[in-house]
Amino acid sequence: MGSAYLFSILSTAAIFTLLALSLNIITGYAGQAMMGIAAFFGIGAYTAAIITVAGGNFWLALIVAIIVSGIFGVLLGVISLRLQADFLAITTIGINFVMAAVFNSLKITGGTLGLTTTKPMLFGTQMNNTSFFLVTLVFIVIVCLLITKMRHSWFGMALASIENDPGASRSFGINVNKYQILAFTIGTALAGLAGGLYSHRMGFISSSDFAFVVSIEIVSMCVIGGLGTLRGPIFGAVFLSILPEVLRFANDYRELVSALLLVIMVRFMPEGLLGDDSPVWKAIMKLWRKFVPKKKTRADLIVDDYLAEKGGKS
Amino acid sequence: MKELMRIEDLKMYFGGLKAIDGFDLTINQGETLGIIGPNGAGKTTLFNAICGVYKPTAGKVFFEGKEVQGTPAHEMAKMGIARTFQISKPLAGLSIFDNVVAAAGVHEYTGISSYFKKSHTKEVEDKVAAVIKRTGLEDVANKKASDVSLGYLRRLEIARALVTEPKLIMLDEPCAGLSNFAINEITELVMKLKAEGQSIVLIEHNLPITMKVCDRITVLSYGKKIAEGTPDEVKNDRGVIEAYLGEEDED
Repeated sequence: MGSAYLFSILSTAAIFTLLALSLNIITGYAGQAMMGIAAFFGIGAYTAAIITVAGGNFWLALIVAIIVSGIFGVLLGVISLRLQADFLAITTIGINFVMAAVFNSLKITGGTLGLTTTKPMLFGTQMNNTSFFLVTLVFIVIVCLLITKMRHSWFGMALASIENDPGASRSFGINVNKYQILAFTIGTALAGLAGGLYSHRMGFISSSDFAFVVSIEIVSMCVIGGLGTLRGPIFGAVFLSILPEVLRFANDYRELVSALLLVIMVRFMPEGLLGDDSPVWKAIMKLWRKFVPKKKTRADLIVDDYLAEKGGKS
Repeated sequence: MKELMRIEDLKMYFGGLKAIDGFDLTINQGETLGIIGPNGAGKTTLFNAICGVYKPTAGKVFFEGKEVQGTPAHEMAKMGIARTFQISKPLAGLSIFDNVVAAAGVHEYTGISSYFKKSHTKEVEDKVAAVIKRTGLEDVANKKASDVSLGYLRRLEIARALVTEPKLIMLDEPCAGLSNFAINEITELVMKLKAEGQSIVLIEHNLPITMKVCDRITVLSYGKKIAEGTPDEVKNDRGVIEAYLGEEDED
């Protein structure tokens, strides 16, 4: 296996990791149904491609792709406020189909012919598969750090609270509408980044790259790995990107395999392979705790104190 | 006595249904006010209309002299009006401790800027730990909210309300569906709050408890106030007895 081939697979896995992370912000952390993330992936991809085809700088194109996707995300966020879970899911499916049709028919997006891009320059040389993968990896690391910081902030607490119970969240000061729109904006902006990277890695994009089945594949990645965790979507994205390459016979059935896994997971392990409540993850943590003891949280200490006091009394 | 909240001619209609039909009420600082009434009288609707869950059809709500009717629920919480829910709304996936932390952030949820502020600081954790102790949730602090019993969830509702340091706490049937033992614990907790000078509005079906805890009681029936006064006055009010037990036969 040549290294160019290896890094080409890894680059795809890396871009899908970014997409899974972006969906995870909307569906995993904020609890909003989203079945059309590929539409925003496409908006980012076409935006960046249009800019560089016109002679624009790749890095600038990436930033614009993030912003344009994010702006469309605000619109979707506003729409989402009036829709409950199932209806939001259906609406986002519709948006995905509409956007795919728009990509397929507009002149600026190349219509059915799509758009051809060139690999961008980095430090004076044209990027190859290896450097492209490394650049994407850097983006993943940055995004993971930003998400980790979010999880420990009041912003993250607001999303977690909304995901659990919007009504209760309002009762202690959370502007649910505002945070819901913000979650959509951040998630879709990140999908835009993935799109910008994708269009320049592939060298060619067409509307079928951003079809509804792609959204389902990204949903599958998150669900298989474990929605609402950081490790889950990353694992799911890498797993589903590499699986068809390992099992060559499965390549023709790529969508079938991921859809089938999605159905099986939703039925038997909705928390995902690496979700907090999954038996797999619990076993891993049990093993891990043998080497690294759990750092006690404040809540654990309160319980310890209570038990000690109670034990002392009786 | 200083007035804390005043409700004037509040109306809450759902289409043709007049759930609240012209309701007046004054709540004084440090007072414990009970709202009672038969099932379907409109008690919870009244709470929802006051706390901004619903926009009232008409009428005024003054809080600390300021007109606040129709203000969204999250703004009401920031102003110092905390409410609990009759049907507990725990953040099921979070620990009891983190449930209280979430509520402790009442003034921190400012949008994008809240990204730059850490939630679990020592200061916040100390405050949360104190409330957890006060509400008797210590033994389940690290348990997931989905794994604890209703008695704990009811106290969690009160803990989340208390940690926001409210000027007015509105309790919606904190004892409904609990065992006698758990009811006593909640009653004791409410009495403790009352002794500390907390202003409280209490909806409760359990009349003996309402009579014991409240300074003043308002009786609601079919969206209208039918009586108001001290527990003794209300207990002997003919209209109240009729609302609860039905009218006496003429003969």
